Amino acid sequence: MNKFVTANPSKCIGCRTCEIACALAHSEGAGVEGLAPGSFKPRIRMVKTADVSTAVMCHHCEDAPCVNACPNNAIVYRQHSVQVEQERCLGCKNCVLACPFGVMDVVTVPAVRQFAGMTLSLGVKAQAHKCDLCIERGDAGPACVSVCPTSALTLMDREAMDETLRRRRERAALEAAEVAA
Amino acid sequence: MEKHMAVCPYCGTGCKLNLLVEGGKVVGAEPLNGVTNEGELCLKGYFGYDFINDTKLLTPRLRNPMLRRSRDAAFEAVSWDEAIQYAAKKLGEIKAKYGPDSIMTTGSSRGTGNETNYVMQKFTRAVLGTNNVDNCARVCHGPSVAGLQVTLGNGAMSNSIPEIEHTKCVLVFGYNVADSHPVIAKRIIKAKERGAKIIVCDPRKIETARLADLWLPLNNGSNMALVNAFANVLINEGLYNKEYVASHTEGFDEYKKIVDKYTPEYAAAITGLPADDIREAMRIYAAAPSATILWGMGVTQWSQGVDVVKGLSGLALLTGNLGRPNVGVGPVRGQNNVQGSCDMGVLPTEFPGYQKVTDPEIREKFAKAWGVDSLPGEIGYRLTDVPHLAETGKLKAMYVMGEDPAQTEPDLTQVRKGFEAMEFVIVQDIFMTKTAMFADLILPATSWGEHEGVFSAADRSFQRFTKAVDAKGDVKHDWEIISLLATAMGYPMHYNNTKEIWDELRELCPIFYGVTYEKMEGLGAVPWPCRDLDSAGSKYLYEGNVFQRPGGKGLLFATEWRPPQDQLTEEFPLILCTVREVGHYSCRSMTGNCAALQTLADEPGYVTINPKDAKALGIRDQELVWVSSRRGKVITRASVTDRTNKGAVYMTYQWWIGACNELTIHAVDPIAKTPEYKYAAVRVEAIADQIWAENYVQQEYAKLKGGLSNAVTGAAKKAPAYA
Repeated sequence: MNKFVTANPSKCIGCRTCEIACALAHSEGAGVEGLAPGSFKPRIRMVKTADVSTAVMCHHCEDAPCVNACPNNAIVYRQHSVQVEQERCLGCKNCVLACPFGVMDVVTVPAVRQFAGMTLSLGVKAQAHKCDLCIERGDAGPACVSVCPTSALTLMDREAMDETLRRRRERAALEAAEVAA
Repeated sequence: MEKHMAVCPYCGTGCKLNLLVEGGKVVGAEPLNGVTNEGELCLKGYFGYDFINDTKLLTPRLRNPMLRRSRDAAFEAVSWDEAIQYAAKKLGEIKAKYGPDSIMTTGSSRGTGNETNYVMQKFTRAVLGTNNVDNCARVCHGPSVAGLQVTLGNGAMSNSIPEIEHTKCVLVFGYNVADSHPVIAKRIIKAKERGAKIIVCDPRKIETARLADLWLPLNNGSNMALVNAFANVLINEGLYNKEYVASHTEGFDEYKKIVDKYTPEYAAAITGLPADDIREAMRIYAAAPSATILWGMGVTQWSQGVDVVKGLSGLALLTGNLGRPNVGVGPVRGQNNVQGSCDMGVLPTEFPGYQKVTDPEIREKFAKAWGVDSLPGEIGYRLTDVPHLAETGKLKAMYVMGEDPAQTEPDLTQVRKGFEAMEFVIVQDIFMTKTAMFADLILPATSWGEHEGVFSAADRSFQRFTKAVDAKGDVKHDWEIISLLATAMGYPMHYNNTKEIWDELRELCPIFYGVTYEKMEGLGAVPWPCRDLDSAGSKYLYEGNVFQRPGGKGLLFATEWRPPQDQLTEEFPLILCTVREVGHYSCRSMTGNCAALQTLADEPGYVTINPKDAKALGIRDQELVWVSSRRGKVITRASVTDRTNKGAVYMTYQWWIGACNELTIHAVDPIAKTPEYKYAAVRVEAIADQIWAENYVQQEYAKLKGGLSNAVTGAAKKAPAYA
């Protein structure tokens, strides 16, 4: 099963700590001082409506619409997650339209090439922009999960999913018993 | 990489963290397992450290003392020697000419720490000879201190922060915990998970209202009516603890007489709440085996703040929810050390350790310790009196330390006039601020991260924080600057470190005596009172239900509801209530200089408005709008949201362009002198030309930022020897 981050709306306080942690985890070491409004593109987003505050992010679907929609096989299953091979991304936005959760985006970054000790500009490079479960942080896991001050975010893997299912079934059994009584 | 232990410099939760330092620069923060935060931090704790590094995103750090020899002159950088001599001479002259009470000082409830505040009030009382010293508790939890001192005998949170998650009922009143204290919000969520009932009284659908079992969206300005109705229900439905009331309280008959009128039906007309919801709230509260009341600025920032605080403490007394673990009353302090500045006596009424200036024996004790013949016994001026006192010529000089009243006080036009009317203004800060622009002399101090000391968390816990990096520039510790000034004024004062100061004040304050630096080592937190060296302090107050009042009983107090001061009219038909947002703090000099935090929210800020009101005014979400009151007019951005109640709009107080305090009213509580930030009559208007408006905001913002930044760079150029 693919792993994914889940948000519990009954714990979320809408503080956006997760968004900053996400942007920083993908800043290639630039640190907080590299953050600025124009370039701030967290892959997790806090959504606030009249009744709900919660974070939304990639579900790392088992049969992912983004993977299926990509004409260039840029989106792949790797290490129990859905990952983007950025060099293959065309920026066609099929994946953006296909994602039912609104958590895939296409962004452009300056493209450069090193040649004879010089940095040459190659215009822009498109990137399919989504949660990568902080795969480069390794055992540290997703940055958003590690900072959430109310523990509203959890990393769901097979084991955690089984535990949740076990508790739900237990609750269902108890409720059924109540109805019977 | 080095790691240096600190306590977060933002809200009053008192989260312990490590500052990560590389090459003399703070590059990160990581949570520690402190008593109040248990390994958690919020976005300000994690990402709010880079202001130390002088990012100049909003305003530059101060590097040199800066002097302006006349008000029309530019600032010039000067040596410390010249700055101190100049200040001593000016203050000396003003004291000689107009008397000591013509001078006022402030403590700072922010990053400087308790030791500095002790030194500041000592300087004010022993050297200047006045009790004119105050701090921003005046505009915040002043009413909580004043109210609780009368009814229970102690102005602080009765119980500790960790206990919140073990209570069985949390009554949240006028307190947006998610935005003010995110890490305390977790305690409330955990309490709920453990089965506690959550009741929220707030006109807005704040995050906690969303999670509440019962949300009472009362009308803005109806607090006292609701609190009286709560008492009415507890008494008339027989829900109160008769035995507790008989043994541990006084004033019941008088109290009952006043609240009798406030039946839920009577209060429904004032509060706009269904009478049955009022009843339900008290049935839940009274039924809980333990219950905690938490409140914030929604209770205190009213012209009837003190009364409501007393009323809330009455609910705890009626139900016996005091004097044991997991219960109590919690005025949750908003600034990291506003509890501390009160503890340290930067108050016009009290010496450190809550010892009254009106008590001759106490005065004699301090006079003896400080080596002066006598100390002033008259209560000093309050911070909110300053503009009026300056304009009427009673106040001639002000020494502002680590506060930005030209941003945070109500009715800023009046505040500016006040500063202009004064003969001599000193501002001591780490940043160039809007207030510093009114100064004659600017004294640059070390920042949090550059010095050590002790903070008091909101729950009375003393905790130590350490220095992480060396300060850059020609700056000094706050307490060092004050000591130099005292010495130059003929009162030799010298401390080698903060521990020396701490040990001096411990000896003078019986309730802090047992709190040694050693006990606070590492993650140590010691809640006062702590009278003995072998005591670990007091997690909760009023053990054995003994209240710190003559006779030891709690006072039940009620009074009639009074409507707010400002008047809604056809011209100004909406209520403006000022609030805070999670990513920014206080006047924003710190968080506005943090890249991550200013990435999330920048000028001109927002006015939140209900969709129905917005529609009637032709305003769409995210458009720029004008907001005006009888006192001023500002531009800001509309955030159209169902979470805001109809008839009221809300603005956060840290913006320079969308500065809500240009609009707020100087109407204060008669006792605490805390302003009614929560109720000003305003008008909101759409702007047809949004492109012009966007440009206008950018230009005005650039102009303001440029003005402050040029003052600093210009001063350095004028005296390159000190730059």
